[in-house]
Amino acid sequence: MMLELQDIYKSYALGAVRVEVLNGVNLRVDAGEFVSVIGSSGCGKSTLMHIIGFLDTPTSGEYVFEGRKTAAFMDEELCQIRNRKIGFVFQQFHLLPRLSALENICLPLVYRNQPEATNEKIARQVLDRVGMAGREMFRPGELSGGQQQRIAIARALAASPSLILADEPTGALDSQTGQEIMNLFLELNREGITVLIITHDPKIAGQCKRVVRMQDGTLREA
Amino acid sequence: MIKANVIEAARSLMSAKQRTFLALLGIVIGIGSVIAMVSVGTFVKEEALRQFTDMGTDVIRVRQDYGEGKGGGGVMSGPGGLHLSDIDKIPAECPEIGEIAPYIAVYGALRYHGRQMPAPALGVTSSFGRLFRLPVTEGRFVSDLDRYMSFCVVGPEVAAAMRQAGAKKLIGEKLTFKQRIFTVVGVTPKVPVGSMRPYEINDGIFIPITTASRFPDRPQIDDITARMVPRGRAAVAVAQLRSFFANNVPSFRPRVTSAEELIAKMEKQMQLFTLLLAAIGSISLIVGGVGVMNVMLVSVSERRKEIGIRRALGASKRDIQSQFLVESMILCFMGGIFGIGLGLGSSYLIAHFSKWTFSISYDAILIGFCVSAAVGVFFGFFPARQAARLNPIEALRSE
Repeated sequence: MMLELQDIYKSYALGAVRVEVLNGVNLRVDAGEFVSVIGSSGCGKSTLMHIIGFLDTPTSGEYVFEGRKTAAFMDEELCQIRNRKIGFVFQQFHLLPRLSALENICLPLVYRNQPEATNEKIARQVLDRVGMAGREMFRPGELSGGQQQRIAIARALAASPSLILADEPTGALDSQTGQEIMNLFLELNREGITVLIITHDPKIAGQCKRVVRMQDGTLREA
Repeated sequence: MIKANVIEAARSLMSAKQRTFLALLGIVIGIGSVIAMVSVGTFVKEEALRQFTDMGTDVIRVRQDYGEGKGGGGVMSGPGGLHLSDIDKIPAECPEIGEIAPYIAVYGALRYHGRQMPAPALGVTSSFGRLFRLPVTEGRFVSDLDRYMSFCVVGPEVAAAMRQAGAKKLIGEKLTFKQRIFTVVGVTPKVPVGSMRPYEINDGIFIPITTASRFPDRPQIDDITARMVPRGRAAVAVAQLRSFFANNVPSFRPRVTSAEELIAKMEKQMQLFTLLLAAIGSISLIVGGVGVMNVMLVSVSERRKEIGIRRALGASKRDIQSQFLVESMILCFMGGIFGIGLGLGSSYLIAHFSKWTFSISYDAILIGFCVSAAVGVFFGFFPARQAARLNPIEALRSE
């Protein structure tokens, strides 16, 4: 089992009002699955992704990741999990514009205290893996949207994660480029990486082995 | 990790050149003024102590204490003054005292080739030259055989004035002081003066003490400098001198000060003085530090998104904090290097125009480096902590 959410609630205080975003979410994802979470915008998909990705904590409920209960984890442990177990891919790519493609890919590896040469070797491998060899020194501004998303995926892969979390990864791309990116995710999944994609696009969701729908703060298998 | 942080910080500083330059300027001026102030304090102290490196610290000065002057009288001295014959007895009666040099200071106008300048004259014995370690660049110093003679030795200021008036060779020239004509027999160079060596050494002329005592206004001997015997103890020597004057010249109220006491007092004063200067410099350093903090806060708020990305990719709060701390430390360290240059440069100029001897104060450089690092940590800490405490999700959402 990769991860399991048990009765997750999340609410925010918006001024004097409490907004309930997640109302008892239950989800179990096994290793090697390709899951998409579909739902209209503002339904809490991103909040769910932040909780799964340890960027946020649930108000109540239990989150079990790779067999470990995570409620008591401190910041340092959460950082370790984000750094070594999870690869994030965002809609807006979130690359650092100052850095070259290679340096962007090295970013998660920098926090591992390992030799720079090792980092660079890994970065070149994953750059090649996403079909971007030869673009090492390009800065994000010099690359197209699809190319930037490939760099972002390479950055997620550099950490050799067991789970890739992608939040609307094709949302900023045209449909053809979006399909290319989807193909890349499908390949990675075939190689054994668990992928969880959040999307509002039924065409994207349709290519996933399993689709769950988020509605009114809860999840149902679609 | 540290190397990566340093590279990253340098890159970020380079990308905002103008902001970096302005923050740097504040630190440069701050560190520069601390170093300049500390250096100037050191110069002044060294200048004040230089007379002792020339003269040695085994000297004692005896002066008339004018707190309660009382009439005395005699051929050589005015009320409360001393007789040369009394003074000559000192080495015999005070075993710790090796040699003595009494002197009389007379003030008047000096005339040479129709030019007139106010100048002091010191009536001295031949021991004066030895005791105050005065070298002679031309001719000879005042001798004990010059009793009542109109010979004089000129100090550096008067010698310079005479040369300016056209004198080629000073020895043998005639000067008028207080309507008496003196023949120059020697020239002394400029030496460091202070509370032990009177300033008249550089500004005036030397004449035999017997001659000086014959001026119509009957100047008196009320200043004696004594050198102790080798390995003499200052406290014992001071006590011996006090009891000598109490027994032999009860009308003279001596104020006895040893070089050791003078140096100790002076060092205490100089410490306060340097502290005051350092405090003034520190104020500008604090202003510079606040500038750095400001720049760092702007840098943090401009890079919220970057912080969010880094946090998502596994950077811990500590990683983010150290990234920004390294940036502010680099800023301050660079400021420190330029500031040390500025401080040394301006203290050199101050020394040059004040005619003090310039020396590089390694203490000041060390202080400069330590303080700049400390400013970097201190003023970088708050912005760095703010960066580390950002909520990663909110940071990711920001543009």
